[in-house]
Amino acid sequence: MLTDYLNEWKDELNICIRCGYCFEGCPIFKDGGWELDGARGKVILAYGLLSGELEPTEYVAEKLYQCTYCKDCIEKCSANVSIPDIMTAARADLREAGFTYDSHADLLSKVTESGNIFGKELKGPATEGEVPVLLGCRFLERRDDAERYLEMLRKLGIEPVVIEDEICCGMPFGVLGYKEELAEHKKKFKERFPHQRFICLCTTCAFFISKSYPELEPVYVIDEIHKRLPDADLTELGIKTTYHDPCNVSRGMDMVDEPRDIIDWLGAELVEFPKNAKETECCGGGGGVLVTDKPLSTRLAEKRIRQAGELGVDHLVTLCPTCELNLRNAADSTGTDVEVRNLLDLVCDSVL
Amino acid sequence: MTPGNHPIFRKVIPMKEGLVQDLQEIVGEDAVRDDPADLYVYGSDSSVHCALPWAIVRPGTVEEVQEILRYANSNGIPVVTRGAGSGMSGQAVPIQGGIILDMKRLNKILEISPENTYVRVQAGVVDDDLNRALKPYGFMYPPAPASSRIATIGGEIANNASGTRSVKYGATRDCVLGMKVVMADGSLVNLGSTTRVEASGYQVDRLMVGSEGTLGVIVEATMKIVPIPKYRCMGVACFNELEEAGDTISEIIASGTQPSVLELMDNVAITAVNTAIDLGLPDVEALLFIEADGNVKEAVDYEIERMKEIAEKYNAFGIDISYDAEKRTKLFKGRKKLFASLSRYKEGYSCTSLADDMAVPYSRMAEMARKIHDIADRNDVIMTAYGHCGSGCVHTKILMDPTRKEQWEGARNAVREIYEYVRSVGGTTSAEHGIGLSKAPAWKKEKQDSLEIIGAIKKALDPNNILNPGKLQDAPDDWLTATDLRYKAE
Repeated sequence: MLTDYLNEWKDELNICIRCGYCFEGCPIFKDGGWELDGARGKVILAYGLLSGELEPTEYVAEKLYQCTYCKDCIEKCSANVSIPDIMTAARADLREAGFTYDSHADLLSKVTESGNIFGKELKGPATEGEVPVLLGCRFLERRDDAERYLEMLRKLGIEPVVIEDEICCGMPFGVLGYKEELAEHKKKFKERFPHQRFICLCTTCAFFISKSYPELEPVYVIDEIHKRLPDADLTELGIKTTYHDPCNVSRGMDMVDEPRDIIDWLGAELVEFPKNAKETECCGGGGGVLVTDKPLSTRLAEKRIRQAGELGVDHLVTLCPTCELNLRNAADSTGTDVEVRNLLDLVCDSVL
Repeated sequence: MTPGNHPIFRKVIPMKEGLVQDLQEIVGEDAVRDDPADLYVYGSDSSVHCALPWAIVRPGTVEEVQEILRYANSNGIPVVTRGAGSGMSGQAVPIQGGIILDMKRLNKILEISPENTYVRVQAGVVDDDLNRALKPYGFMYPPAPASSRIATIGGEIANNASGTRSVKYGATRDCVLGMKVVMADGSLVNLGSTTRVEASGYQVDRLMVGSEGTLGVIVEATMKIVPIPKYRCMGVACFNELEEAGDTISEIIASGTQPSVLELMDNVAITAVNTAIDLGLPDVEALLFIEADGNVKEAVDYEIERMKEIAEKYNAFGIDISYDAEKRTKLFKGRKKLFASLSRYKEGYSCTSLADDMAVPYSRMAEMARKIHDIADRNDVIMTAYGHCGSGCVHTKILMDPTRKEQWEGARNAVREIYEYVRSVGGTTSAEHGIGLSKAPAWKKEKQDSLEIIGAIKKALDPNNILNPGKLQDAPDDWLTATDLRYKAE
């Protein structure tokens, strides 16, 4: 197997000392229990593919796609080895070697053809204003919610500019190992959305663009809300909630205090998960696992929602729309009374 | 080429037809794996070594462990017990193939007894999980090895692990009260007791401590716990000369002062940890971390003050003393991440665990620290001196470009020279990381007078030599060729 992509990570694979600290909080290891499931196991697999000691098989591919990119391993790695990037390189090489999934091809053809992950004709609520705002596929699909969020931003003094035909940021190409297609898609994205500095409503877009488009300056919406909310007229919500830190927010964008401040300002009582902030556990929705291995994704989400149920709260709020979706589905499947909501919705409830 | 046909898989031929099916009959289908990818992952730990097993088994009960051992003993199949696989010397690398016995499913805390100051756990309980469970009771399990976040109690016992607080609270062996062990023939024995004291008679439980899985499989342990002290005061002292930091350690211990932490970091270690995790430590020749703890603040102040005075006598400066728990946690986190951080010291270099945890008499600490750098210079590698020097342990790592063959030759020479020095001053090969494969040649030289006794014990307890064969006294005499290296050198 050719390993052109993994070869770029050769030095990092040697820098890894295989101490194993990265599997301490790895959600896939906690779920499966075998060392191959954990972050170290996957790094060793990548090393085996690169060195030629290990032949690619469907089993190897399956394991390397069972990573949610939750970044707990990066947080735990003392040598700062970026394990998700190694996973992406391994996935890209596996794909070149013919290890492809119909579910991936289906998702990516939707993005290519329709511009969004749903394969639907979705139109953004075009508005004229001053500050460009990118909705992201998931909020594009939830148009009513998106319009409410934009109204909330106006109330906070931001006049958003939204285009009607924005397209996906390209994250699915990135995490599923479609590197060349991502490069092409990035060009299209920038043609369609020609702003350098803009607000992202979606957590994943904000993180992915900040990492994959070094020339752009996405601002995550919560940063702006955090700056402006102290001066706004707020209605106290009086709910008891826990907060699920999305990995892209806490570990990815280093935002731990801002959402908690907002929850506090909204007059909600916060009950923390035992594992929170940068120690947050995974919702199971990232890294393409939601499309590659739905049962695994569901197990992780159900585990998290059960933890919320034990906290005696009536709400679980989060920020990432994928976390929100996966956890809401898990709330339904487990029959918990905990209502899953986006923090943006709570801000709307209080501000509008 | 079909999967698993690379030369590294050459030894992966089941000794017995139907091995996997037989194991599945004992533990169930889902608890056995033999896919080449699994074998490859379980073929390495945190050492430089790599050798593949034939199958991996994850028993869920003590009875299953017994049954597996009975089966392996009858068929002469090697059994290598594995906790987290965080060992640095190749202890869990199956040099003769066989079965990896992954103990992580046996992870129940069976009894917490604050009134008797012990805890009873299964072998697969993770050290940090145990401490989290003990905290509400106001107790802690004290050895605190750097790998405590993943290391299992069984693995810590089998390697006699220790850590930052061992200078006051001792190593794992000082915490062992009793244990249940499955012997090579599958029989289950109770060793030790639950009491703090036990008089004469062979201390067979102690024999298991540090036996690296060669004498039995520890399945349960009764361990001493201690109350969490009310006060902890930590300080950092800077030195312009490494030897002065070494002399400070020696005098602090000899003075009767009671540190709860006494850690050294040389400039290589400081640079690495600052580079990798931005800890912001002062860029000096050496740092000493000092800590005192207790329930009486004045007593803690007294101990810290004495350590500070001694450090100042040896020209320490910038001594920063604090009771701030957050500051202490940050420093501890940095210290616990040091090992891996060393891989970031120089581009293209990796941190290898070779000759990495010797102990020397306190009076030789300063000389040892300097010697490490002299030897490194001579052999064109980079080495560092750090560690729990308060308990006599000096850590080194060899930083090198692992893809260059000549670097490995340099490492081999450096290891030999270091151990020659350690033996010459009455030191010992390994303070806390264990012997495994990479330290076995030096350890055998150190223990040459007792190798016959050691061999007789092994023969008596494991007559068919199925338990982690090829380790300790039976390990190859050249660590560099003992197994494939996990790095590919050209």
